[in-house]
Amino acid sequence: MILRLVLWSALYALPIFVRSDFLLTILIFTFIYGMLGVTLDLIFGFTGQLSMFHPAVFGVSAYMTYLLASKAGLPFWLATIPSALTAVVLAMIVGSICFKFRLKTFYFAVVTLAFAEVIRLVVLNWNSVTNGTLGLVVTGRPTVWLPGMGVVAIKGPVAWYYLTLVSLTLTVIVCARCLSSWMGRCFGAIRLNEDLARTLGIDVFRYKLASFAVGNALASFAGGLYGYYTAYIDPGYLSINQSMDVLAMVLLGGQGTLIGPIVGSLVLTSLPHVIDLRAEARAILYGAILIFTILVMPRGIVGTFNAWRARRAA
Amino acid sequence: MLLEVRGLTKRFMGLTAVSDVSFTVEPGEIMGIIGPNGSGKTTLLSMMAGLLAPTAGAVRWQGEEIQHLRPDVIAARGIVKTFQNPQVFAELTVFDNAMVATHLALKRSRGARRLGELVGLGRAAERTLAGQVAEALALCNLGGATRQLAGNLSYGEEKMLGLAMALMCRPRLLLLDEPASGLGREEIDNLVAVLTKVHAAGATLCIVDHKVGFLRGIARRVIALDHGEKIAEGPPEAVLENPAVIEAYLGRAHAPA
Amino acid sequence: MTQLVLGQVLNGAIIGAMYGIIALGITLTFGITGIVNFALGEFMMIGAYATYALAERFGWPYPVAVVPACLIAAAAGYLANKAFFRFTRNNLVNGLLVSIGLISILESAALLFWTATPLEMHFVLPGALRLGEVGLPKMKLVVFAVILAVIVLTYLGLARTWLGRAAFAYAQNPEAAMLMGVHTPRLETAVMLYSTGLAGLGGALYASLYSLEPAMGGVYVLKGMEAAILGGIGSLMGSLWGGVILGVIEGVGSIFLPTAFRDAYGLAILVAILLFRPAGLFGTE
Repeated sequence: MILRLVLWSALYALPIFVRSDFLLTILIFTFIYGMLGVTLDLIFGFTGQLSMFHPAVFGVSAYMTYLLASKAGLPFWLATIPSALTAVVLAMIVGSICFKFRLKTFYFAVVTLAFAEVIRLVVLNWNSVTNGTLGLVVTGRPTVWLPGMGVVAIKGPVAWYYLTLVSLTLTVIVCARCLSSWMGRCFGAIRLNEDLARTLGIDVFRYKLASFAVGNALASFAGGLYGYYTAYIDPGYLSINQSMDVLAMVLLGGQGTLIGPIVGSLVLTSLPHVIDLRAEARAILYGAILIFTILVMPRGIVGTFNAWRARRAA
Repeated sequence: MLLEVRGLTKRFMGLTAVSDVSFTVEPGEIMGIIGPNGSGKTTLLSMMAGLLAPTAGAVRWQGEEIQHLRPDVIAARGIVKTFQNPQVFAELTVFDNAMVATHLALKRSRGARRLGELVGLGRAAERTLAGQVAEALALCNLGGATRQLAGNLSYGEEKMLGLAMALMCRPRLLLLDEPASGLGREEIDNLVAVLTKVHAAGATLCIVDHKVGFLRGIARRVIALDHGEKIAEGPPEAVLENPAVIEAYLGRAHAPA
Repeated sequence: MTQLVLGQVLNGAIIGAMYGIIALGITLTFGITGIVNFALGEFMMIGAYATYALAERFGWPYPVAVVPACLIAAAAGYLANKAFFRFTRNNLVNGLLVSIGLISILESAALLFWTATPLEMHFVLPGALRLGEVGLPKMKLVVFAVILAVIVLTYLGLARTWLGRAAFAYAQNPEAAMLMGVHTPRLETAVMLYSTGLAGLGGALYASLYSLEPAMGGVYVLKGMEAAILGGIGSLMGSLWGGVILGVIEGVGSIFLPTAFRDAYGLAILVAILLFRPAGLFGTE
């Protein structure tokens, strides 16, 4: 608990001491991918449902947030709300179909992946709105409403750093709140023994859907941020590789923990910045890390660290 | 009449596990279901709890047909089943196992207000439940093991944890599948004490057992099954003297394997 | 119109049979060894590129190139099993995750080696068979015949040979099979060699008809899984038929509906069928 508070405080204090744009850029990407990782972990690590639907929600909300802001004139922070609601609707449809038919483990993964592919096809071919393969260049800055300061435009690495860090913090808090309540007990019961959960009166379908909807809704905010930060959105946001990258982060960091995916995100986002690799070599490295983690260190960095600490304490 | 089973039948690919069984459970009683291994007791109980869909027949709970309902809905109505081979969440502590089982109690007492927990409201209800969990665990002789992982418990302890979890569901009808099998003498004495207490608190019990001796001590009325069919019903002594029941047990024991 | 529809039915049946081969391989491997080899499409890719390399770079005749291509795919499958897959037995999620890692590695390696530019082989067997107004390319008919033969042989092999019966027995009841003297590691190796070799054959046949891209493996495995669910999880012949049905629907569907959404038709049908038959077309509850 104390260790966690120190870590978070250090993150908040960091820009006061470090002014390296290079480092801040890495951390901004870490935070955005961390949001995806934490929310995937809610669905996968905590509820036991291996979802491949994250890229769809990530991409759709990136497009929607930008389009709502540029075409409908909504401020950025308001445009994220309809995007999140769309994510919930999509998650409800896909989740209902999968959970109704009790698709589990890799059948669930495949069907969510197939749905994500269909959504990618729609985005790719809806030229009039999405500009197809060419993608959209994002102009304008995200704006945030702050109490006492009114609407502020996000400009410069430090402002971006705090915007993404606060977003990540809120994501973690919402997930932690769900997990420490009766909801989290239901998620865990479903992950560990679905049939037993059912005989104890837990509506398995409803809580799987709840986990899936909450995870996807929170993931949608990462999409909006990513689009604005990189100033470019294309159908690659919805690609299968995106799913694999986030999954690798969750596994490497430690599934079933909230800090793990952020650690995994830090390692894997800084890697291409620290060593210069071409895209193919990077994919090979990610694949190798994924396999290594599963076969050699299945609990991930944080899980292994926690186990080591528990052993030392005992 | 609390529960009525009428013409209940289950076939698995040509094999008839339960055949046209009918009986009733009266409010407040302790009834037993006996029969040799493979006579269809567990299948019958599973159908009553909604874990298996019957091929034919009906289960009525206070007049309403429930055989098509999901197990969690049936549990929410107050019918809770324990397992012959104990089912626990092996990776959780004993305490957390029992906390999962407070789901229905919390749902009943707080309903949609549970959502307040997400912003930190209503923690008092959680604390009350935690207290009740501690009581239930102490009652089941698990007071000293609350921080242990359920996967590290002995068979008998796992079984008592299963019972403690069922109790946390606040059952009106508790279905127990061979609760005494695999338990030692002292554990059985404790089990009887727990069941007596639960019964005194108002729960109706329906106990499956093939060790007749255990049931004779606590059940007022038993039914006997053989080859999926009901062959006798009445007070334990009368049923045990029934020639068909004696033959079902002895005949099976003497038949060549 | 008849030409168009018939041509698409044949195309769909061939592509669909490839989905089916992948689906069969995944179902067989999982049913018998408890291992999820979701990377089976990559072994198809290996077989396809190996055929291309042997036939186009080394100038071997196509039929001669097919055999070593299958062997290369099977050898790769053997190595993957020894190095990775055998550690994921009876853990579906880990099998899937290792597969995803392997897909990423193999696909990227193919990209580094062959680049993303689609490769096409020279016509192996030019010309078409004319039936009235309809012309069917000869090579497609040959490929279709080969796949059909492989399917029939697989079926007979599973139903008639000792290994096939052992495989069935093991899938039904591992303990009893153990008592009967089925040696599991050998069975596991055999199944792995067979499924990856078969995928390699699919790739080799594919190479003679269509252009090759490193990403083909990922696409096929996804379709293969859809086919397996469509046909009924666990049903061997069901997964083959599921593949053919999926392929034909996609082929014929893209005549009447926009081609860009070709990949969506199969999913729509899959969901529709699951609504009416939750256990799939050939599955039992």
